[in-house]
Amino acid sequence: MSEATSAFSNQRAVNIGFGVLIVLLYVFLMAPLVMIVGASFTNGLLIEFPPQGLSLRWYVEFFDRQDLVDGLLLSLRIGAVTAIVTMTVAMMAAMAGQVISGRLSGWFQLGMTLPLLVPELLTAVGLLFFLYKIQLAKTVMGLQMGHILMSFPYAYVSIAAAMRQVPASLEEASASMGATGWQTFRLVILPLVMPGLAMGGIFAFINSFDLYTISLLLKPLGGNTLPLALFDFLTYEFKPTAAAAATLSILLSILGVALVQKLVGLQRAF
Amino acid sequence: MSLRNPKLFLAIPAIALIFVFMILPITNMVDMSFRTPGQSDPFGDDYTTMHYDRIVGDAYYWGVLLRSLLTAGAVTLLCLLVSYPIAWHMSKAKGMKAVFLYACIASPLMTGVLVRNFGWMIAAALNGPLNEFLLGLGIIQQPLRLLFTQGLVILALVHVFVPFMVLPINNALRNISPTLIEASTSMGATRRQVFRDIILPLSFPGIYPGMILVYVLAVAAYVTPALLGGQMVSYMPTLIIGELTGTFQWPFGSALAIVLSVSTILVVGLFTALTARLMERSKA
Repeated sequence: MSEATSAFSNQRAVNIGFGVLIVLLYVFLMAPLVMIVGASFTNGLLIEFPPQGLSLRWYVEFFDRQDLVDGLLLSLRIGAVTAIVTMTVAMMAAMAGQVISGRLSGWFQLGMTLPLLVPELLTAVGLLFFLYKIQLAKTVMGLQMGHILMSFPYAYVSIAAAMRQVPASLEEASASMGATGWQTFRLVILPLVMPGLAMGGIFAFINSFDLYTISLLLKPLGGNTLPLALFDFLTYEFKPTAAAAATLSILLSILGVALVQKLVGLQRAF
Repeated sequence: MSLRNPKLFLAIPAIALIFVFMILPITNMVDMSFRTPGQSDPFGDDYTTMHYDRIVGDAYYWGVLLRSLLTAGAVTLLCLLVSYPIAWHMSKAKGMKAVFLYACIASPLMTGVLVRNFGWMIAAALNGPLNEFLLGLGIIQQPLRLLFTQGLVILALVHVFVPFMVLPINNALRNISPTLIEASTSMGATRRQVFRDIILPLSFPGIYPGMILVYVLAVAAYVTPALLGGQMVSYMPTLIIGELTGTFQWPFGSALAIVLSVSTILVVGLFTALTARLMERSKA
């Protein structure tokens, strides 16, 4: 009897210990983000957590800084183009992926996700040489190509997953009733994969917005993306303005997470 | 499948994108690593093995390479230790709780590496939260200088890569059929036995890709050591970027990048060979 009770209380202790561990691990995951957001609202002159008083002065300061705002605008612009191009190219690739079967299909998937699996550093170095050769080095166009390449797998994975949910019979039915290929695509397939397509665009945009290494190597003359401008700012000035800029970036990712949950559900997306 | 299916042509832009802007350029890096140093250009016209000779003959580069490989190894193992309990906990969650937990994993994942590293800069300040935490636990007696240390680089890298490990392990755990666990429990297996003989081997198909991905990405991580590592210690990626953007020694920078890639592939190959039996067991 007493042995059974002690085994039971042991089990309880283990469960409580595991619970504490889990909480600590989630604190570890969220702490850096919480500290940035907290530090951005400080009224003091130092980046610190907990903040000294509350104010929005560092957000005002951020929008007064031409270099940071220029970085934000360039990042938004490149991210938007990246999202549109990767959504289009990935949609086409996912449709082709549907008709590839067997062993080749696995290789195709691998190839489409290659920029995600090979370290960004290697891709960036290779692209630096290549853009130099084709005379696109240090141009916004070259940087844009790098961002499209690096963000493509995110768009592809989301869209391909959505395409797999579309039953082939629907397409056949549509064709047998006399719809052209384009009509079938526009009226049958596109509405069904729309959530996955939108999610792919969100992932591609956010990934582009966050890229650092490839932007550092391919950065255009006189142009900085927000992460590049933020790195320089952290190295030379280290004021709470940086926390305000980083908070805007965190806000974007939380918005992205909320949109993905609404579109397809986080559990299916990851 | 018919090769004449016109839908296959839709893959051409994607294949061209990856082939022209990634596979060709990376292959071209091998060529670049054998070029002579340039005078006015970043590289010369002739071929030489001098860059590899220089790396192999200099203990400094061996040291940096070893530091990069070991740091990434430590990051990978710590990632596994942090990720497994999270993935385990997540795989059991349902409904709104599951959504909340996924959001906790996805929000850091979708926040840039630079921003997350910056968060650790705030945490690691001399009178910042991390020091307070360690003082509170009684682990240290006075605040430590944490910024610009290797320890902080490792901590921040673990934070960057945890989601990459949690997601595949979580998927593997979700695929384990509960009847299997019930069956073994009803046949008298203890919780420890169930974990060791069933759950751990069956989650290996999630652990393996998670570990490989984290290792490969950690070896080549540039931002974290550049921001949090300070000037005192070098890692391969910081050296490579320095050669490419600072001194414009493209051939030498390429040779360093190739040495790093080949070493990484060797480590991954070794790991795969060592764990081949575990992988077989998980399939049986």
